[in-house]
Amino acid sequence: MDLDSKIGNFKPEIVVLYCKNCLAKDSGPVGNMVSNSKFSARLVMLPCSSKVEASHVLKILAQGADGVEVVGCPEKQCRFLVGNTRAEKRIEYARQLLGKINFDMDRLGMDRGENLSLSQLISLAEKRANAVMNIGPNLMKG
Amino acid sequence: MNLRVGSRLERVLAGGHFAVTLEVGPPQGSDPEAIRKKASFLRGLADAYNVTDNQTAVVRMSSIAGAKILLDEGLEPVMQMTCRDRNRIAMQSDLLGASALGIRNCLCISGDHQKASAAGKLKGHPGAKNVYDVDSIQLITILKGMRDNGVQEGGDKLTSPTKFLIGAAWTPLAPPESFRVLRLAKKVEAGADFIQTQAVFDVPRFAASVAKACDMGLTDRAPILAGIIVPRSARMLKYMNSNVPGIEIPDDLIGRMESAKDPKAEGYKITVELIQAVRAIVGIRGVHLQAIEAEETLVEIIPMAGLLPRPEVK
Amino acid sequence: MIVAEWKPLPEIIEKLRGHKNVLLVGCATCVAECAAGGEREVETLAPLLTMAMKADDNPIQIQTKTLERQCEWEFVEQLADIIPNVDAVVSIACGIGIQAIAERYPYMRVYPGVNTTSLAIREQPGIWMSRCAACGDCILGETFGLCPIARCAKSLLNGPCGGTRKNGKCEVDENADCVWRLIIEKAESRGELNKLLEIRKTKDWSNSRHGGPKRIVREDLRP
Repeated sequence: MDLDSKIGNFKPEIVVLYCKNCLAKDSGPVGNMVSNSKFSARLVMLPCSSKVEASHVLKILAQGADGVEVVGCPEKQCRFLVGNTRAEKRIEYARQLLGKINFDMDRLGMDRGENLSLSQLISLAEKRANAVMNIGPNLMKG
Repeated sequence: MNLRVGSRLERVLAGGHFAVTLEVGPPQGSDPEAIRKKASFLRGLADAYNVTDNQTAVVRMSSIAGAKILLDEGLEPVMQMTCRDRNRIAMQSDLLGASALGIRNCLCISGDHQKASAAGKLKGHPGAKNVYDVDSIQLITILKGMRDNGVQEGGDKLTSPTKFLIGAAWTPLAPPESFRVLRLAKKVEAGADFIQTQAVFDVPRFAASVAKACDMGLTDRAPILAGIIVPRSARMLKYMNSNVPGIEIPDDLIGRMESAKDPKAEGYKITVELIQAVRAIVGIRGVHLQAIEAEETLVEIIPMAGLLPRPEVK
Repeated sequence: MIVAEWKPLPEIIEKLRGHKNVLLVGCATCVAECAAGGEREVETLAPLLTMAMKADDNPIQIQTKTLERQCEWEFVEQLADIIPNVDAVVSIACGIGIQAIAERYPYMRVYPGVNTTSLAIREQPGIWMSRCAACGDCILGETFGLCPIARCAKSLLNGPCGGTRKNGKCEVDENADCVWRLIIEKAESRGELNKLLEIRKTKDWSNSRHGGPKRIVREDLRP
């Protein structure tokens, strides 16, 4: 298979670590997996985005995920006051570490959201998947 | 005259003359001609000539070597020794050698730290291991012991004592200002025979510090030579004001350099004014002129400031 | 605590080339306190190195373990079952711990993953500052509880040099206070400035590293 076809067949696998407080109260059941023709995403619910450590997101990438998307509550709206701020710092730290080993930093990122419906959450996963499309598959696969 | 060592600098000061010392930077190379050339146009302009010791932690010909070359040219040197590069053993050994070579004045200073000194395009040696075995005040004590008691720091005797007029530096306007006169007192107590200060631009503030030193009786025991740097540009003054601790430059001096049509001439003018101003301060017994990398400008400035001829002393 | 920081990753990667199975071992004491070598850092560095080595065309397996302290033989002993299964160890403990592993398992290649730099305190979250230089002749009783050996860039003993900046910081490091300024302020606040007028004599450095590798023997604690 030549390179073009390979990229043409590339379906990014994204892991979404989202804070449950970002969801709308009536978002309905979210489930833990979403898959369509363009990408697939594992959805992992957290009690707060601050539960995410740099080691977690790096492990997820080391295990072959093409991208990791962290979703936290907007500024000043963290139920635990500054959890989302701490998460942001850790994600930025992890991004810098990826840069140091010549992995594209955009495989990892954090967005803020509130009152998200399931489809809005999936849009954020798609946003990460699109960023990762340009980078290509994670060499840690297989 | 009750002289300790009989150097020209000592005789000039003891004779009550207003002393002039100036700074000579040694070359970043091994050619003695570089120093001989400076000696040729600086001869007769000062009573003694300081040769710096790896200033800003950039390697240059050693102060002792530079001082000896000046001596051979008929100029009286003031060697400088920092605490950064030598332990007490090397210091004492070098001092014995310098004394043997006929050098009679030594300025004892802490020295610029190698990690944060080399400026502009120069790299220096920021990765070097520094020494700082003793500090400048302890170094003064060591020189005093070697001269007056003929003894090494560790207690062993010297077969013959050294002969140095002991110099120390003073930066009266660096914080904490309240302590700076007390630090001067410690240096004088330790044995400093003369003082050369950090460059003066703010004369009233400097005068206030000198007054305190007078009150403590320090200026009688150790004549103070006020440091004067020749301004070359407003940018230079701004740089020093922001980056060199202890240098405080009033806005109007910077303003004058900024608006001057001929900054070089204005710099000369300011230098002459500063020399005349510090000369009027009670307790100031001379000036220490620094024209960094531009010693030739002193050829014009020193006569302009009315400092010639230098006195004849036996 | 003893503080260390990660070596630049290319340095570690270079040492790992040619190896297949590596043990990354941390320490839960000093280096955990300074966020360089504790369990969290082990779990962060392991996937990072795994990815880096794969990208370097030298895929490796990394096992991880964090010991309570790497400077105690009984804890280092806990590696006895793992070590035979690896061909290299990267330790992110301080130099003492790294050497303990190298000494207990002399046939094993042991590489440092950190540079140990100082004896420091965590002044604030995320900021560590050197406090002690292990000079072997403590003068804190004479300097109002502030150490000029460790905290003065020139280890001056008789007051500040002319390099104190306008804002009271050190000319060598604009983020570091001039410790002599702090000592003077403290002395002034107690009305004891005169204590700083005494000329402190030259220091005896022989009880520190300058006197040779330091050895302490306590006969009362020998078996």
